[in-house]
Amino acid sequence: MSPARTRLVAGAAALMAGTLLLAGCSGTSDASSASKDSINYALPANFTPNWILPIGTAAHLNTNNKSIADSLWEPLVAYDGSTGKIAWNKAGSVATAADFAADGKSVRITLGDRHWSDGKPITSRDVQFWFDLIKANKAQWAGYNPGKAPDNWTSFKTEDARHFTITFDRSYNPQWMLANELNQITPLPQHVWDKGGDAKQVWTFLNDAAKNIAGYEKNALWQTISGPYAVKSFSTAGKVVLTANKKYDGGEKPAIPTVNLLPFTTADAEKNALRSGSVDYGYIEATDLDQKDSFTAQGYTVKPWSGWAITYMPYNFNNPAMGAVFKQLYARQAVQRSIDQTTLAKVVFNGTAVPGYGPIPQGQASDFLSSVQKSDPYPFSTSAARQLLTDHGWTEQGGVMTCTSPGSGASQCGEGVAGGTKFAMQVLSQSGSTVTDNMMSAIQSSLAKTGIKFAIKTAPVNSVLSQTPQCTSGQSICTWQLSFFGTAGSWYFNAFPTGDSLFQTKGGSNFGNYSNPEVDKLISASTTSSSNEAIQGYSAALAKDLPVIWLPEPVYQVSVVRNGLGGFSQDSLANFHPAQWKWTS
Amino acid sequence: MSAAQGGRFRSAGRWGLVAPRGGAANRRRPAPLIARFARNKLAVAGVLVVALFLFFCFVGPLLYSTDQTHTDLTQVNLPPSGTHWLGTDAVGHDELGRLMYGGKISLLVGLAAGLLATVIGTLWGAVAGYAGGWVDAVMMRVVDAGIAIPALFILLVVSAITSPGPLGLIVILGLVSWLVPSRLVRAETLTLKNRDYVLTLRATGGTHGRAIVRHILPNSVSTIVVAATFQVADAILLVAYVSYLGLGVQPPSTDWGGMLSAGLTAAYSGRWWLIVPPGLAIILVVCAFNAIGDGLRDAFDVRGR
Repeated sequence: MSPARTRLVAGAAALMAGTLLLAGCSGTSDASSASKDSINYALPANFTPNWILPIGTAAHLNTNNKSIADSLWEPLVAYDGSTGKIAWNKAGSVATAADFAADGKSVRITLGDRHWSDGKPITSRDVQFWFDLIKANKAQWAGYNPGKAPDNWTSFKTEDARHFTITFDRSYNPQWMLANELNQITPLPQHVWDKGGDAKQVWTFLNDAAKNIAGYEKNALWQTISGPYAVKSFSTAGKVVLTANKKYDGGEKPAIPTVNLLPFTTADAEKNALRSGSVDYGYIEATDLDQKDSFTAQGYTVKPWSGWAITYMPYNFNNPAMGAVFKQLYARQAVQRSIDQTTLAKVVFNGTAVPGYGPIPQGQASDFLSSVQKSDPYPFSTSAARQLLTDHGWTEQGGVMTCTSPGSGASQCGEGVAGGTKFAMQVLSQSGSTVTDNMMSAIQSSLAKTGIKFAIKTAPVNSVLSQTPQCTSGQSICTWQLSFFGTAGSWYFNAFPTGDSLFQTKGGSNFGNYSNPEVDKLISASTTSSSNEAIQGYSAALAKDLPVIWLPEPVYQVSVVRNGLGGFSQDSLANFHPAQWKWTS
Repeated sequence: MSAAQGGRFRSAGRWGLVAPRGGAANRRRPAPLIARFARNKLAVAGVLVVALFLFFCFVGPLLYSTDQTHTDLTQVNLPPSGTHWLGTDAVGHDELGRLMYGGKISLLVGLAAGLLATVIGTLWGAVAGYAGGWVDAVMMRVVDAGIAIPALFILLVVSAITSPGPLGLIVILGLVSWLVPSRLVRAETLTLKNRDYVLTLRATGGTHGRAIVRHILPNSVSTIVVAATFQVADAILLVAYVSYLGLGVQPPSTDWGGMLSAGLTAAYSGRWWLIVPPGLAIILVVCAFNAIGDGLRDAFDVRGR
């Protein structure tokens, strides 16, 4: 047989094999892992657990590693969404009370009558051990932002074994302090982990030990725990098996003795595992939501998991070509009014997203949301968007709006916008996501109707992050104009959604160099004022000022949960809490 | 034409090269190469399929006009109907129009990249084979090294970095696909360069360049043409691979691989019109080019006659 014919036959064989595979995949399976004694939980695709220590660098302390660590070492203040709303979950916390001084400059914490798994009591010394480690190694700590904890904690005073006081550098909003700073503290077993030497040496010792994943199961360091679960096995390939901690004396006693956390290389692999019945708590993509019935028929319930997050596309205000245009509020309004978020959320996201009009997540009701943001200050209207541009000296030429009236007058293009400038911008967007591709295509199309050219360039998400850094207009890297990290790259907040790193001048994640002194004041006030008025003011200001292009907020994941698994709420802060899972039937 | 006449043509073709004759009867015969090619029914079918797809992709949009630039979120995922013959996709594009639009890119990039790879490979192989010695050794070691790195890997890395458009894809594909043709042409050149007519040209003062251009390459044409068809088929597949992995041409452009990739999310939703048409188009065109290459190889193969 000639090589070409061999190819044809091979091609035909591959086609037939593919067809058979598809046919095979479309069938249902009776396989089931449901058991009263165990649960199989699917970790996010392409994620492998690789850290056990509740302290560490940002590279290690991602949401899922932290969820595992929190199951082993219970946090001091569990401020999360595990109870159905974002609040302090005292049942899952070591502390039982946090009494703030009247001036807001200190807090007195009371610990519960709790014990480590080796029988020793959990004391203020265990909290101070964490405090000293973080103070001495703040630059390496994942939770560090200059000026915030531990910089703003000036002292730690032990009153007795179950009471201590932390003093701040000034008065703070108690809710913010509790939700965003004190919630990061985890009492650590000082009597086991403090091997001598100074705090830096102990930090190095613990982090080095934590790098040995193969040792998690046997290393004595990790056997003294305070949380509801212990490690039974921790594979370097990613599978983690947790077993109930029989000595646990906290408020969230585990109902399922064995928890299997399963890794998957792709979302498709996880979906196939769901179809085969080998996963009890998994997920599908939003585009798969129209297959809901097939999962329901297999004994699952599809439950979207709403996230405490916002999704947006930052403008690069320092871009040499388009920065001056982006700095014009009317131009940003024209862009925002060209985007039909309601239809995007309904069609592209299959109804699993909600429109977002500002810096406060809108997937859940909250006291932080202003009426301005809630009411959508710039509703979708192509004609209004065109009007905004034509009223400011832009004329459509060859399908693209062009500045024909440069200058800083009320009816001119604005300061820095040269005559002849075309409203043409490019986004660098995450590749590999059908939902993102579809959303970008839809935005491109609707912007074109306004006369705004919107070119799309895609790259893997890590590449997008590295190519769209904070920059100054003279730097060669500053050629990016818009950046989108993908629907999986939404910004997840701490419980109190301040925008200090996102929208404050020179904030750590203020990629586009947005700067507005009024907003800076509001951000600062939101962390210090004990009233919600400040953060609502911040919400209204940014909803009106459009520092970024606001986009629909997708759910964290579309969960597929086996019927009979209940007793829990999906934490909108994107953590999972195995101790709350239980088989109800 | 009757079956008997067909038989006579086949018979005439068999002897045509050996004893070419003048006269009206012989002038009506097809050229021997075409006749030999026509004997391979699969190859003829391949030509027809390619011709049909070229017509479909380049003339089709004139007869079946659709908007492939703007999305229409009110018309998403509609099944085939009188309005949309092949339904619509997830952002409301007419799928039949999209198939034509995507096919243009797939065919253009495939054809151009295949030809570019063949040109580069032919020149490289001819020079290496003709020069011989250390020049040949160095040039072929470059080829060996290139073949050792999977083309798809290089393509994915470059695509991830540059996000190429159609022209970029043509250049990248051409630059990663020329290695096999260069080996084939080099082998052919090694046998041709010692033929009497080449040696005579050199003895009479002809240059090396003239020897390559006037004798080596024309006499390697069968190898080159066959290699070219396979290169085109491979290039179309490579474009599909890259687009399938989300690194192909960017919206609003698309190609069949990108359409297939977008459609596969609907595999369990019963929206076959998003998967079957682009998948079938890729299979048919790639098989067609392979069949054409097979037919050409048979037609050029003197020993086969």
